[in-house]
Amino acid sequence: MTQPLLTIRGVEKRFGAVQAIDGIDLDIQENEFFALLGASGSGKTTLLRMLAGFELPDGGQIILDGKDVSRVPPNHRPVNLMFQSYALFPHMSVAQNIAYGLEMEKLPKAQIKSRVDEILEVIQLAHLAARKPDQLSGGQRQRVALARALVKRPRLLLLDEPLGALDKKLRGEMQLELKRIQHEFGITFIIVTHDQEEALVMADRVAILQDGKLLQCGTPHEIYEQPQSRFAADFIGVMNFIPVREEGGKLRAADGSIIAAAASLEPGQAGVAAVRPERLRIGGAAGENSLIGTVTATAYHGLDLQVHLKSPASPDPVLMRLTADAAEARPLKAGDSVTIHWTARDTRAFPV
Amino acid sequence: MTDRKPLYLMTPALAWLTAFMVVPCLLILALGFFRRGIYGGIEYTFTLENIALVFDPLYAGIFLKSAMIAGLSALIAVVIGYAAAYAIAAAPQRRQATLLFFAVLPFWSNYLVRTYAWIVMLNREGLIAGIAHGLGWGGELPKMLYTESAVVIGLVYNYLPFVILACYAPLSRLNPEIAEASRDLGASGWTTFRRVILPATVPGIATGFVFVFVLSIGNFVTPALLGGGQFQMIGNLIYAQFLTANDWPFGAALSIFLIAIMMGLLTLQTFATERASGARREE
Repeated sequence: MTQPLLTIRGVEKRFGAVQAIDGIDLDIQENEFFALLGASGSGKTTLLRMLAGFELPDGGQIILDGKDVSRVPPNHRPVNLMFQSYALFPHMSVAQNIAYGLEMEKLPKAQIKSRVDEILEVIQLAHLAARKPDQLSGGQRQRVALARALVKRPRLLLLDEPLGALDKKLRGEMQLELKRIQHEFGITFIIVTHDQEEALVMADRVAILQDGKLLQCGTPHEIYEQPQSRFAADFIGVMNFIPVREEGGKLRAADGSIIAAAASLEPGQAGVAAVRPERLRIGGAAGENSLIGTVTATAYHGLDLQVHLKSPASPDPVLMRLTADAAEARPLKAGDSVTIHWTARDTRAFPV
Repeated sequence: MTDRKPLYLMTPALAWLTAFMVVPCLLILALGFFRRGIYGGIEYTFTLENIALVFDPLYAGIFLKSAMIAGLSALIAVVIGYAAAYAIAAAPQRRQATLLFFAVLPFWSNYLVRTYAWIVMLNREGLIAGIAHGLGWGGELPKMLYTESAVVIGLVYNYLPFVILACYAPLSRLNPEIAEASRDLGASGWTTFRRVILPATVPGIATGFVFVFVLSIGNFVTPALLGGGQFQMIGNLIYAQFLTANDWPFGAALSIFLIAIMMGLLTLQTFATERASGARREE
């Protein structure tokens, strides 16, 4: 692989008694759409602010294009940040907001104008160039904030919860729009989000942060299908956890049923077997990776039918998501008794 | 019925303002167009003499002088007050209320007492002179009390809390990410202040400036005490017309002009603030 655009090496940050970032190592490639995913307090925003230059790391290095930039002030980094609040200048028009960063580069007036016009076309707001930010809708403001950062053609564009303030429908549109723009400009994007769906949909690679540590980093598919920890498995999507104990190379649930997983636990170790609701199938004979349950509730979601099962194998209800076809083939109602099965390949095991 | 509620609630205030503000102002307005009696009374015949006299170079000069002193005071107060408000707004959240309390504290003491305190400070044998001599200054100190500078110092000192409060409001409301955005886009700290923070807080500056100007231009206590009668401001002139010269009609004519100047400025300032916040409300 070529030299990464950005290398984060052993970065640490402490706020008083709180270790906000606890030794993070990451490589981010040129042209990547990268997502930092985590709950609030996971340190994802702190890490982003260190990349932008608003926080200085207490340890470690941030290397951009082969140069350590950890101590370079924000106005001297080829990095731009799109703020969560958008932070548009209230007294400037849309065009003035976008031109501001180029004026700081002391570019000729004509060049500034042509680049502002060009980006206004990209975000489709040319007709609102003279408006002030408070005369724009939330979605329009979001696009101005993006344009203002993008117009500087940074090496790295950071986006702090860029879609957080938008309603659900608009968010879906903007996810695709952001991907399109990232592709068109060929700029590396790092997005911070707490919304796992957003991270999976948009990013080429996702890093999950918890308590200032990097938990797992990989493609959306790897993150979803091969979670490396119970936290990651729980944080991304929906997961069934069945308490098990390792016994002679097999995992045994509370009711004695045997579960085979892609990776097992240490001998005698207690843990959980994890399987996604959409991997569960109706039917099959009793045996490995099979359990009997009683339907307690069903919920119709259009795309799928969600079935809650009560099973002696698990203290928590087991959730199953059936496709419309599967649900129609075998109609289920509360009180029905069913056998379900799944494959060992779709099963993970984590110690507790 | 609920629609009427605001009106009921406003009635006492409206009645009060009408009785003690609007009516006296109308009386002053009328008075300005009557003739002065031979022995100081009022002769109820219409005349424009008083109004014309206001434009006499002597009196117009006093107006101009007052405006200059008020303008200078307002300018100094805005520079000092904005800096203080900026520092308070930048302080940790939990300390801001305390700092504001201290900034406004002088307000809770008597205006006269505060002004007399400056006499004690600026006096030839006063505190400042004492400190200067104590530090070994042997020569003659420049005259401080009973000068225009003393009046400006007094006015700035007295109205500074207004400016701090007026500037603090927009500064504390300013999203800190706006300043960061400016830095992020390549601006230095100074450029960020000049191009982003200052323009975004202009309404507060305008409010502070107009307040100090309006309160200063009509002030007569500070010029009387700290100016020592060396020169007159318009407030002193009006005071003299009513209480010593016994020329109420001319005093009224001067007052009309003073009120007109104040109202003009306040209207301008209200308009500017409305415009700044009006756009925001369109959301």
